[in-house]
Amino acid sequence: MASPDPGSFRDPASKVIIDEGRVIRLLDQRGLAAWEALSASPFLAEAVASGDIVASAPIDYHHDGAAGALEHPRLPLITYPYEWTFSMLKDAALLQLDLLERALGAGLTIKDATPFNIQFDGGRPVFIDIGSFDKYQPGEPWLGYRQFTRQFLFPLMLRAWAEMPFQPWLRGDMEGPTAAQMRQILGGRNRWRPSTLLHVSLQARMEEKMSGSAVRGDLKTAGFNANLILANVRRLRSLVDSLAWAPDAEGWTDYHAWTHVGRDRQAKSEFLTSVIGRLRPRTVLDLGANDGHFARLAVDHGAHAVAIDGDEGVLDDLYRRSRGVSLSIVLTDLTNPTPSQGWAGVERPGLFQRVRPDLVIAYGLIHHLIYTASIPPRSVLQWLRSLDAALALEFVAPGDEMVTKLTANKLGHELHPGRTEDEFRRTLDELFEVKAEQSLGSGTRVLFELTPR
Amino acid sequence: MLFGYLDAGSGSLLLQAILGGAAGIAVAAKAWRARLRGKSLVKDAIAESEAGATSDQASTEP
Repeated sequence: MASPDPGSFRDPASKVIIDEGRVIRLLDQRGLAAWEALSASPFLAEAVASGDIVASAPIDYHHDGAAGALEHPRLPLITYPYEWTFSMLKDAALLQLDLLERALGAGLTIKDATPFNIQFDGGRPVFIDIGSFDKYQPGEPWLGYRQFTRQFLFPLMLRAWAEMPFQPWLRGDMEGPTAAQMRQILGGRNRWRPSTLLHVSLQARMEEKMSGSAVRGDLKTAGFNANLILANVRRLRSLVDSLAWAPDAEGWTDYHAWTHVGRDRQAKSEFLTSVIGRLRPRTVLDLGANDGHFARLAVDHGAHAVAIDGDEGVLDDLYRRSRGVSLSIVLTDLTNPTPSQGWAGVERPGLFQRVRPDLVIAYGLIHHLIYTASIPPRSVLQWLRSLDAALALEFVAPGDEMVTKLTANKLGHELHPGRTEDEFRRTLDELFEVKAEQSLGSGTRVLFELTPR
Repeated sequence: MLFGYLDAGSGSLLLQAILGGAAGIAVAAKAWRARLRGKSLVKDAIAESEAGATSDQASTEP
């Protein structure tokens, strides 16, 4: 039974449906003509071969009066720009610009510029929206310029120049900040950078002055041409290239240097290796993945791993070390994971509607949920059970040195019941079957292999 | 209209010409001057071509 992809409906020429796990793109007459122009160009074959554009195969598929159909390979996990780190959005921006330049060289254009058209596969960005390509009509401007600034450039500027994370903004407003909003945010010397004056201040001013005017015809008659787009694209590329962000050391970047982490890492790795050896999971979800050590271990044993963490610094570092690795990176706060949102509340599904793990790793996690985020232990375990997968869990008892630090300013009655080992085991037994367990050297931590009851 | 599903923003479209460098600034100025005169270059061009066609016809008449 085919069902429409809830995020693919805006372009009438091309829309994606999912049919028994197959990803199928339906084209109308215009979409088919655009595909024929694209597929006839060596540009497409080269970009697919280099991994920059997803592969597409024309198929004989009849559905709802479509003029043509393509099939794409299914990606391990769809992620959204508000779940990406700075380097991921930057790489996606550079790919967008690079593809536009190469497309224009082949007499084609990309009719929009949104990071939702880009996904990560094997630690690198890949452009997935074949329907965005069309023949370039002489005299036409680049219609995606404003969208590029709002969804790629301005978010990167926010992080690089104003030390503001872009993800909360993009999660709240998927269209991204406007030029007028950026003009308000960028102060001091950032306000006077040439790039700010052009892409932010001048764009904001011209948008205000010209709202609703029809200018495309005028530009064409005045002599607009593809070389002007190319000049703009090349400047944007050097601007994006120059944007940099170095996470401060206050986050979790030095996590592995902490004593309990180094001491237990070997034992936790061996325990996980034995769990993976028994279960042979295809997809492993690492909650609170930090430097990705355990997620990478799962990949080394043949799984696709999904590394989730709330710290952009550690995930950005992990991303930069994961080229060619079967690893998806998701930046989200587990106490407030990505919700379903967009049109009809379903256009961009929530994180846990997209991830279907066979094994979940919850190492070094639950004490942060219980003691830092004040989530009742029972609720933590019920949530882990709702993921409906096997679980490698590290229990951290109240006397643990880390728990002592986390509760230094909390009084006993301010903590939830159910956190002692005996109480925790009782809840665990209700929800899971314990397949294996092992105490760690500290005496305050226990590893469990669990399967849902 | 091509690609009509995305609102590209009028000011952002004209700005692109400026961002295209010296040649683009000339294009933007030409398009902008037409706007200041309260005219559309497209309408002018249509009017000119129609006027040309009329005068051609006039000159071929005996």
